[in-house]
Amino acid sequence: MPNFKLDGKELPYEPGDTIIRAAWRAGIEIPHYCWHPGLSIAANCRMCLVEIKSARPMALPILAWDEKKKEYVEATKNKLQPACQQEISENMEVISKGKDVEKAQGAVQEFLLLNHPVDCPICDQAGECKLQDYWLAHQKKLKRKTDEPVHKPKGVRFGPTIVYDAERCVMCTRCVRFCDEVVGDHVLDMRERGNRNEICLSPGRELDHAYTLMTEHVCPVGALTSRDFRFKARVWFLRSAAGVCTGCATGCNSWVDYDPRHDRVYRLRPRDNANVNEFWMCDDGMMSYHRFHEDRILTGRVRRGETVVEVPREEAIAAAGKAIWGKSKLAIVLSAQHSNEDNFVLSKLGAALGASRLYLAAKSAAGWKADAILRDADPNPNRLGATAVAGGNVGSTSALVAAVKAREVDAILSLGWAAEETVGELAALLGVPHVNLSTNIGPLTQSATVVVPVATPAEASGTFVNGKGVPQAFSKAVKAPLGIKSAWETLAEIAEKAGTEITWKKLPEVRAAMPALPTAGATNGAAPAAGA
Amino acid sequence: MEPNYEDLAEEGGALELPAEPMRLNMGPSHPAMHGTIRMVLELDGETVNEVDVQPGYLHRGFEKSCERGTWGQVYPYVDRLNYVSPMLNNVGFSLAVEKLCDIKVPERCQWYRMILGELARISDHLTCNSAGAMELGAFTPFLWCVKVRDWVWDILEQETGARLTHSFGRIGGMAKPPTPYLKDSVRAIIPQVYEVLAETESLLLKNRIFLDRMQGIGKLSKERALALGVTGPVLRSTGVDYDVRKANPYLLYDRVDFDIPIGHDGDNYDRFMVRFEEIRQSLKILEQCVEKMADEGPVNVDDPRVILPEKGDVYSTIEGTIAHFKLVMEGFKPPVGECYSYTEGGNGELGFFIVSDGSGTPYRVRVRPPCFYNLQATREMICGEMIADIVPTFGSINMIGGECDR
Repeated sequence: MPNFKLDGKELPYEPGDTIIRAAWRAGIEIPHYCWHPGLSIAANCRMCLVEIKSARPMALPILAWDEKKKEYVEATKNKLQPACQQEISENMEVISKGKDVEKAQGAVQEFLLLNHPVDCPICDQAGECKLQDYWLAHQKKLKRKTDEPVHKPKGVRFGPTIVYDAERCVMCTRCVRFCDEVVGDHVLDMRERGNRNEICLSPGRELDHAYTLMTEHVCPVGALTSRDFRFKARVWFLRSAAGVCTGCATGCNSWVDYDPRHDRVYRLRPRDNANVNEFWMCDDGMMSYHRFHEDRILTGRVRRGETVVEVPREEAIAAAGKAIWGKSKLAIVLSAQHSNEDNFVLSKLGAALGASRLYLAAKSAAGWKADAILRDADPNPNRLGATAVAGGNVGSTSALVAAVKAREVDAILSLGWAAEETVGELAALLGVPHVNLSTNIGPLTQSATVVVPVATPAEASGTFVNGKGVPQAFSKAVKAPLGIKSAWETLAEIAEKAGTEITWKKLPEVRAAMPALPTAGATNGAAPAAGA
Repeated sequence: MEPNYEDLAEEGGALELPAEPMRLNMGPSHPAMHGTIRMVLELDGETVNEVDVQPGYLHRGFEKSCERGTWGQVYPYVDRLNYVSPMLNNVGFSLAVEKLCDIKVPERCQWYRMILGELARISDHLTCNSAGAMELGAFTPFLWCVKVRDWVWDILEQETGARLTHSFGRIGGMAKPPTPYLKDSVRAIIPQVYEVLAETESLLLKNRIFLDRMQGIGKLSKERALALGVTGPVLRSTGVDYDVRKANPYLLYDRVDFDIPIGHDGDNYDRFMVRFEEIRQSLKILEQCVEKMADEGPVNVDDPRVILPEKGDVYSTIEGTIAHFKLVMEGFKPPVGECYSYTEGGNGELGFFIVSDGSGTPYRVRVRPPCFYNLQATREMICGEMIADIVPTFGSINMIGGECDR
């Protein structure tokens, strides 16, 4: 690759690269608001102005203070160029920290804050706001203007998920470009000019496509805020763990932002991965964290006749062991919602108990809308992985229902809450002892005789294999409540009660024992995506 | 062991007392063991054969606590190091962080820091000397000196709002500029302090009991003092003229005229006299500082990355709000690096070794507490003396638990 010089440092670039992109690739940030690596170039914020050594000087001389002569003298100055728009040429020398550049950055920053409201104490962006960061880094002075600022609409409802505050907006148009270029839905635009400039909705429209939360994510300031996250948490109290979205088979990489003080997840953010989700996630995926805390199964549940009784976790584990003890026609149900590790240990436990029937339960695609951007047709994060670690031959849940009805099964050990059938369709499963390990309430849970609570993907580390066959690991964010453990650890406890043993004690041991994961592109006998 | 009186009678009635040394525990909860020090004594009659001095009963984990908050939040902790002269600790820590960040505070602030620091030093030495006298039964000097200390504290309260734990230092300046009354208040007490010092000395220095308990007791040689890392008045009493203010002038100490009093025997008496003389030198410094400090001008450096904005600006401008927010929520961020900075504290060289990883929270704050090193000399001072000499000797070390144990 050819090189160019940024602040005296040699950096490689690809032909056609702009200065800011080459610097970004090298991990150097040139201050910017409107540029986003995943969007087109607008060059409207002027924050990324840099000096190019070989550039043409400005036509007219400028006045510069001469310390020796104690007077202003005429001097020449290179015209500054936006780093986001300026293409690199061979051996170009760029100065992004010079005196003129800093002066320009300070001036731009002063302009951007000219009419900015004193909102930091009530703004969700505070703590991750570019205005805050750049003011301290590049301006550090009070503005000179003392007039009343221009007032613009605040708290405007843009749609079911997003609220807009025009006073905080710096008019970078990232949200407009995101809707236009990524979603292909021209729902946002700008109106008015200068001080009165604001973002507006298309007439008769609401911001209601499947990627609205991304407009908040690309907003460098607090102008667009998510109604879901608004006023819920302060970002400086949150920590991030690398996660993988459980919403569909795309497996978007995410940051799971959680508060370590009370082990609660507050939001998901896209984690950049050029091979999977680039910079984006869909609304449903971003909201999937709600399942970590809502509709949870936190205690054991045992069915006694018609009623379901909540029992302590240990009691449910004992009941589970008893239910599958010595059953000769045990059916094992893997879950496309659970990690490879959980599914692998379950299949191994099944083999130890002599079970020959393997099934795979997956979430129904009813009501799920796939698209060509990110949303995969299969709303399960790990269908490929679950199938692969079990050896490939798995039946569907409808086959399981048929087998139970045909009395070919005398007990069931199932994982996960999800199933493609409704509770009514699964009613037959109640005819045999049915042990279910589950994070949340779902059709499989409601047709079980014993339910044991297990940890969600936010509470345990694991691996998913996405629809394209890319294995992706995620790590534990929060501690599971009430002594709940991950599914594979819980299975080890059940194995003990069922008269056998799972010898792995730690996650790396399980991973070492697992068969090699399918590589990208391999089909590995996976079931076709539901709804396809 | 019970003596066998029957045997004694047969051998002519000479009573042999048991000759085994006695073990005696002194402290940590003992009124004379300032700030919870334990001494395990081995006594031969009333003579101290051996002593094991055990600090650590006042360990609060100060240094570890510093690694939780921001750099600015360290000030309340340093207040509680040497709690007899907190302002010297405040100034010492400020100078350490400023050295790491290459910040130079305005001249007015440097004079201000010197004035407040010397006031704290007077308070420190008065407390040590008068309490030492009180422990020998002389109660009047204590009352008189504490009266002076109250005058000093009145000034500190007027300037900082607090009499003892001021938390008044700031990185890059002070919490508030000097009040308009500062100079008059300082000028008003100086002659009175001289007077009380003379009166107090007149009560003690011709007092046979006091002199017998102080002179030639608890001696420390120059060589041993240096070998043990002893600093401050305890070192100077042995005849070494090491004072950080002269040896490595910080603030503007190179622009004031003062002397370093030294002793020659390194005994209790010399330590007492060095401290009283240092109070006079501090008064001399104060006189010069109030002359030289400007009445107008900035106290804090002009950099919002370091100094909190004006409260009015915080509430009415976005820039002020941002500056406040960044400093309070994320804290001031020194560059990655480490430095050792040392000043003359009340008891000697007060050093701060600080390490920054570039974040808003200190990576490590290590204190070199002068009295921890001074305390090491206690054993050598006490061994061979009478048990009653422990109290004035230990008092003259001026061990401050908050600083020694941290």
